[in-house]
Parts: sequence; C-alpha cells; structure tokens
Amino acid sequence: MSAFVFILFGLAILLVPVIFVVVVYNGLVQVRNRCKNAFAQIDVQLKRRHDLVPNLVESVKAFMAHERETLEAVIQARNVATSAREHASAADGASIQQLATAEAGLGGALGRLFALSESYPELRSDQNMLQLQEELTSTESKVAFARQAYNDAVMNYNNKIEMFPSNFVAGIFHFDAATSFELSSNAERESVAVKF
Amino acid sequence: MDFFEHQEVARRKSHVLLFYFFLAIAGIIAAIYGLVVLILTLSGQEIGETSGLAFWDPSILLITAGGTVSVVFLASSFKTLQLSGGGAVVALELGGRELDLNTTDYHERRLLNLVEEMAIASGVPVPSVYVMDTEDSINAFAAGKSPSDAVIGVTRGCMTLLTRDELQGVIAHEFSHILNGDMRLNLRLMGLVFGILFLSLIGEFILRNAFRGGSSSSKKDGAGLALVMLTGGLGLLLIGYIGAFFANLIKASVSRQREYLADASAVQFTRNPDGIAGALMKIGGLFAGSKVAHPMAKDASHLFFGSALDSMFATHPPLGERIRRILPRWEGTFGEVSLRPITDAPATQREPRRA
Repeated sequence: MSAFVFILFGLAILLVPVIFVVVVYNGLVQVRNRCKNAFAQIDVQLKRRHDLVPNLVESVKAFMAHERETLEAVIQARNVATSAREHASAADGASIQQLATAEAGLGGALGRLFALSESYPELRSDQNMLQLQEELTSTESKVAFARQAYNDAVMNYNNKIEMFPSNFVAGIFHFDAATSFELSSNAERESVAVKF
Repeated sequence: MDFFEHQEVARRKSHVLLFYFFLAIAGIIAAIYGLVVLILTLSGQEIGETSGLAFWDPSILLITAGGTVSVVFLASSFKTLQLSGGGAVVALELGGRELDLNTTDYHERRLLNLVEEMAIASGVPVPSVYVMDTEDSINAFAAGKSPSDAVIGVTRGCMTLLTRDELQGVIAHEFSHILNGDMRLNLRLMGLVFGILFLSLIGEFILRNAFRGGSSSSKKDGAGLALVMLTGGLGLLLIGYIGAFFANLIKASVSRQREYLADASAVQFTRNPDGIAGALMKIGGLFAGSKVAHPMAKDASHLFFGSALDSMFATHPPLGERIRRILPRWEGTFGEVSLRPITDAPATQREPRRA
C-alpha cells in the first residue's frame, strides 16, 4: 500500500516539469501566431495601398501630362513594393527589411508626386482626386496602425522567448526571434501625411 | 501626456468609486434595519432580547439585508434587461441613420475609414456606424453590450466640422469605451440606481394604501396599523430617494473617470494628442458645443463624447480639464470655429467654392 502511494507521488513529481513544458510551449505558439496574424494585417493594408496607386496615377495623368517621369517612378516603386510584399513573411527577417525599404521607396515617390501636384489647382479641387486622397491617407494610417500592432506582438513574443523560464522551452523547440517592422527612411515617415 | 499613467489613475479611481457604491448599499441596509426596529418598537415589541444589547437583533438584520439586497437586485436586473437592447437599438432611438459601407459621400467615407483605422489600432471588431443627421453640434457615442454588438454614432457636426486628425481622436475615444466595457458598466450602474429608487416606489405604494386601509378597517386596530404603514412607507420613500441621490452622484463620478480613461486611451491608439484635444477645443469654441437636442439624449448622456447636457450630475468632466490633461501646454483658449465643412484638402480651405 505504502509503496503504491510512493510510486504515485514519484509520478506526480515527474509530471510537473512535463506539464510546465506543455503550458509554456502552448503559450509560445499562441504569441507566435499572434505575430503572424498581425503581419497578415499589414499585408492586407499594403496590398490595398498598392492597388490604389495605379488608380491614382490614372487619375492624375490627365492633369499632369508633363510629369511623366515622376509618374513612371511611382509605378516603378509600386511594382518593386508589390513584389517585395509577395515575398515577405513574418518568419524571414531579411524579407521584412526588404519590404520596409521598398515601402519607403514607394512613399518617397508618392511624396514627390504630391509635392508636384501642389502646382495644379484643378487637380486639388477635383472630387475624384479628393476621394482618392482620402483613401490613400486612410490606408497609410491603417498600415501605420497595423505595423504598431505587429511590433507590439513581436515585442511580446521576443520577450517570451528571451525571458526565464520560457527561454528553455523556446530553445528546445527552436522558437526564433521575430523581426519588427521599422521605418527605414524619412521618406516613408513624410508620406504618412498625404497632403497636396 | 503619459497616457498609460493617466489610464492607470482613472481605472483606480473608478474602482474606489465602485467600492463607494457598496458602501451606499450597506448604508441603505443599516437605514432599513433602523426603520424595521422603529416600527417593531412602535408596535410594542422588545428588540434585543436575544443578543442582550438594546435594538440589536442579528436575525432582523439578516432578514432586512437579504430583503433589501434581493429587492434592489431584482429591480436593477429588470431595468438593465430593459435598457440593454443592443447598440443598434440605442442608435436608432437617438435618431441615427446607419451608414452605407459603399457610400461615396466624402465625409461619410472618411468617417468609415477612420472607424476601420481605429479598429486596427485598438484590436476591436469594426462596429457599424450611425450618423445623427439633424444634430449640428459636435458629439459622438458608443452603444452596445459587448464589442461584438457595439455601434458608434456621431452627430452631423462631428462628421463634417472636424479635421481628419480630430475626428480620429473622437473615434478613438469611443473605441476605448467599447474596449473597456464602459457601456456595460454604465448599464449596470443605471440598473443599480433604479433598484435603489425602487425602494422609494415601494414606500410610495405602502403610503397610498395606509390612507386607504385606515378608513376601511375597524377604528382601533386601523389606527395602529396606519401608524406602522405610515412610518414604514415614509421611511422607505426617504431612504430610496436619498440613496438614489447618492447613487446618482457616484454614478456620475464613475462616468467622469471613464471619460478621462477614454481620452487617455484615444491618445494611446492614435499617438496624437493634438487630434482629440483639437476636437475638444472645437466643442468649446462652437456655440452649439456638444449639446444634443434629441429627447432621448438625456437617458443616454453617459454614452456621449462630450457632455450632452449641463447638470450637477454631469457625466463628463469639464472640457478645460480634459484638454489640460491631454495637452499640458494648452493656454486655455478655445478659438473660433468655422461652420464650413472641412475636407482636409488645403485647396478647399483656402479657396472655398461659392456654390
């Protein structure tokens, strides 16, 4: 009888670390999935931004016939950003860096376009243009908020895989640090405030 | 502004206030206990035989406490149920019109976009959006029991007179109410106030029957009973009114703390204190301010962004104090507000079209 109790007690003690590992592992998976989901949100908004750019170029073409180079630069930057977006994934830090750089390029090109449009009064009072501008502004800020949410999720995840005691479990099952989505140039920062 | 600290303070203060609510209920139970003892003494019974202390009887306290709590609880659950028709019902009652998601109107489009942006920033599902077309003041509200059935409503003035950043601040403020469960908290508080007020309704009912009963039954017995009913009825009436008065005061203070919390959260979501502060300044500078004319507005005053009404039981802190907490460098002037709709494009602001 007492031997039976002893064995039961020993099993219970053995079970504690197992339960610990299971709980921590599940917690890590949860925060990692949150990162992935947050990244998907950025992706949705960036796609929207990329879809809006051809519309914008189409609309301003009629007014800004003499600014072909600028318009072509916008389209070029947009295509670079689109392909960077298609290759980016939350698990690959380098691809996120590339995407950030491409987005900064697109932001810069759009910024130049809007700066030039200052000198076209008909363009500034065009209703269609006003709507497009609102859509772009909104998308810019959705990208910004989605990025904020993604970076928060990344920080939360990285904290977990670096902090004691969950870092042991993270090490055993190869949970790698995620990369946050940072702005890489001032051009992108400026483009958040679309004004013309 | 350190918005996290401001949020912490507001949360702590509203918890203290909720504790006061329980104190108020305890006070009411004590008062009713006193009333029961008074009535029993009047009808010639000795109180305190079992405990040895004069006027102290644990079983009477237990019965009064149980009775009071269950009456208040039942009445407040009834009221809460009655009030909780979901966000859409409230918005329609306030004269709101649901926005079409495919609208092409510039201001409606902008509003819907801002709501989507704030949903991303706060991590709350996108609520449906209502506009109160006949209200020219600047105000907004959030209604609903939970984030999933929440709606956001704004006045026409709010939609058209604010810049994009200012409107973003207002919408972020409403999202904070949704995220922090303030609508549900308010429903419960309204229910509790009604539950306490219900005691005075019972008192009124007893008083009415005291006079009727006194005339019909036999003289000697009737006089004694009438005295007991008179004391009991009057006592309950007073306890209910005084209790409801203090409960209303506490409810208003809780509501004011939740407004500070929502202001601080709006800054957290937008990272732009100038937006929401600008909106508050415009309310201060505008003649119509934040007053909402709709007759239903009184019942829903706690839902709004700005004070929908002026009263001692204000559900919102003073505008100046709110702005100062968001922008400590503010000089205290509201400035003038143009009544021309804003489209955020410098072109239309500089050269307004005459049409």
